Amino acid sequence: VRVALLAFALLVLSGCATQSVIVRQSPPEAPLTEADAPSMYTYDPWERLNRCTYRFNARFDEYVFLPVADTYRGIPEPVRSSIHNFFHNLAEIPSTANYILQLRFGGGARGVGRFVINSTLGVGGLFDVASKFKLSSEQTGFAATLSTWGVQPGPYLVVPLLGPSTLRDGVGFLADYGIEYGVNIVGLYRGDPSWGLGAVNAVDQRAAINFRYYGSGSPFEYETIRFLYVHRDLIQDEALRKVGRRKRPDTDEPAGK
Amino acid sequence: VSLHRACLLLALVVLPRLLPAEEPPTGLADSAALRATVFGTPPQDLAPMPETVPLREIDMAMPWALPVPKVLWFDRRLRAWFSAQKKPAPLAIVISGTGSDGNTAKLATLRGALYGAGYQVLTLPSPTFPGFIVSTSSTGVAGDLLQDGRDLYAAMQTIIAHLPHHAPITDIDVLGYSLGGANAAVVKSIDATEGKLKIHRVVMINPPVSLFASIDRLDRLYAQSIGSGDAGLENLYRRLYTRLSNLYRASNKVQIDDTDLFAAAAGVLKTDADLSAAIALTFRLELVDVFFAGDLYARTGVVIDPLKPPGVGDSLEEIGRELRGKTFKEYFNRVFAPYYMAHRPGSTPQSLLADNRLDIIGSALRENSDYYAQTNSDDLILDESELAWLKSTLGSRIAVYDHGGHLGNLGERRQIADMLDMLAGRWQGQAR
Repeated sequence: VRVALLAFALLVLSGCATQSVIVRQSPPEAPLTEADAPSMYTYDPWERLNRCTYRFNARFDEYVFLPVADTYRGIPEPVRSSIHNFFHNLAEIPSTANYILQLRFGGGARGVGRFVINSTLGVGGLFDVASKFKLSSEQTGFAATLSTWGVQPGPYLVVPLLGPSTLRDGVGFLADYGIEYGVNIVGLYRGDPSWGLGAVNAVDQRAAINFRYYGSGSPFEYETIRFLYVHRDLIQDEALRKVGRRKRPDTDEPAGK
Repeated sequence: VSLHRACLLLALVVLPRLLPAEEPPTGLADSAALRATVFGTPPQDLAPMPETVPLREIDMAMPWALPVPKVLWFDRRLRAWFSAQKKPAPLAIVISGTGSDGNTAKLATLRGALYGAGYQVLTLPSPTFPGFIVSTSSTGVAGDLLQDGRDLYAAMQTIIAHLPHHAPITDIDVLGYSLGGANAAVVKSIDATEGKLKIHRVVMINPPVSLFASIDRLDRLYAQSIGSGDAGLENLYRRLYTRLSNLYRASNKVQIDDTDLFAAAAGVLKTDADLSAAIALTFRLELVDVFFAGDLYARTGVVIDPLKPPGVGDSLEEIGRELRGKTFKEYFNRVFAPYYMAHRPGSTPQSLLADNRLDIIGSALRENSDYYAQTNSDDLILDESELAWLKSTLGSRIAVYDHGGHLGNLGERRQIADMLDMLAGRWQGQAR
């Protein structure tokens, strides 16, 4: 059960971190065989640093993030939900840009449609009206774009404050932020208010994740989280991979390399 | 929903093996029992629960704790969860199953039922949970029924003395599921001589009779369904990875999200061998933590060099790899028995095995009408003689259901209603 909880937390965690969406464009190809499967072991050349960061994140979570998130959970649900919708609506911008980079124009159109509807009828994104019009959210990010371009996840990376990631997902996160910063919609992303806004966004995301660092009590929690994060990413990659478009990684190397 | 998701995900995480159809069945349990054990009670069969249950986390350092090993720094405090009533009410203390913390989905189910029935509820981790071993155990070597019972009993007193705002406690009952059931009964028997808590009734839910025999059965299940060493696990992983990836690639869905991942994981667990592998691996991963802590505290040097124990930033990959290949028998022979034989003059491996059977409190179970149990005729941690022993020892104070495997009917209407009847002293025996 501990493992299940961990895994659940991780999925939520990683889902929030990347918001990646996988879209099938090509027809199913020849099925994978077991020889195609990567190693169970994960490529983690920065393990010592990662473990340090993991521990730092745990402490930060315990003393800062969680108490704040707990207080935030005290806010009435409709208000929190509006805050959540607001940030989610803003994230349609980098998502749409990434759909275009992935040449997935349907997803891009959906993003534009949602953004327009929610920004107007949804009062600046506070209400997710678009979902009521059966235009549900399917966001993607630069990490998924890199994956469609054939970029491997690379080494496992624990990002300060954010948590489990890979080099590719970390770059994806920065690029998505770069897009938001570049577009700077209604001036939200630059200047002093942007700090406050970023903090509220972070707390909103943290409050939605039911995960406790070291909640497993296990000395092997770092390994477990790493395994789950990276291998989930790899399975998603399989769905994105197209025939001949990218080379399959060496299955004898640790996964991710 | 999250419970259901967690269960499905368990299926994914424990890497079910896809054996070809011609493999022999495990012979240890039937399909229905395995299925129930893995997937639990279907939502439509669950007993009604209150919509909200107040819940407070309690983090406490136990004054008698051993020095905390650096590598386990995060387990320095015991973590329990408490739900208070507004009016004076009895307190139900619930103990978790093997290797599990004090806030599992199963505990949440029991908490909901108990709180709804008017109890204040305190849920505690298993004495085999690493967070308990480090913060509370007075030996660090988990799995001894009496020693774990004493540590639990002391922890209960400490926590109850410091409970946050709560209504007066009118009575104390103790419950537990799986190993926690046996722990609960032992705690009551200790209280019978010490009298510090005046524990009234005990309900054991799917308890083992012989702890080591039960785990030995699960080790055999592992050997049969996964094989030995990391090679077996690696094969298993490759199979699952392939299967899941192909499911995705063949899917016509535009978007594959976590919900699909859960559904895929559930779809992968089909045969008895898959289910056996899931169950066996779950237990093995719990044993890995117990083994690690035991070897570290007892300085037995099986996988951890007592002179150079791992530090905070050290990789534990190698140690984990070694431990995943080790059975409970090895824990017993190389950590548990050497430690307790050194600390209990006159004890032998045979006497230690005997000390870890529920018979050590057999006369109390037989004569004291405040002990109750619920189990299933197809529980895979019991064999026929053990089930017969439970029945003959408890007489009319046991309910034996004809389905559910191990804990697979926990939360079901019948199970909850019977449990509440037992706790309230209303239980009239099982209608035949």
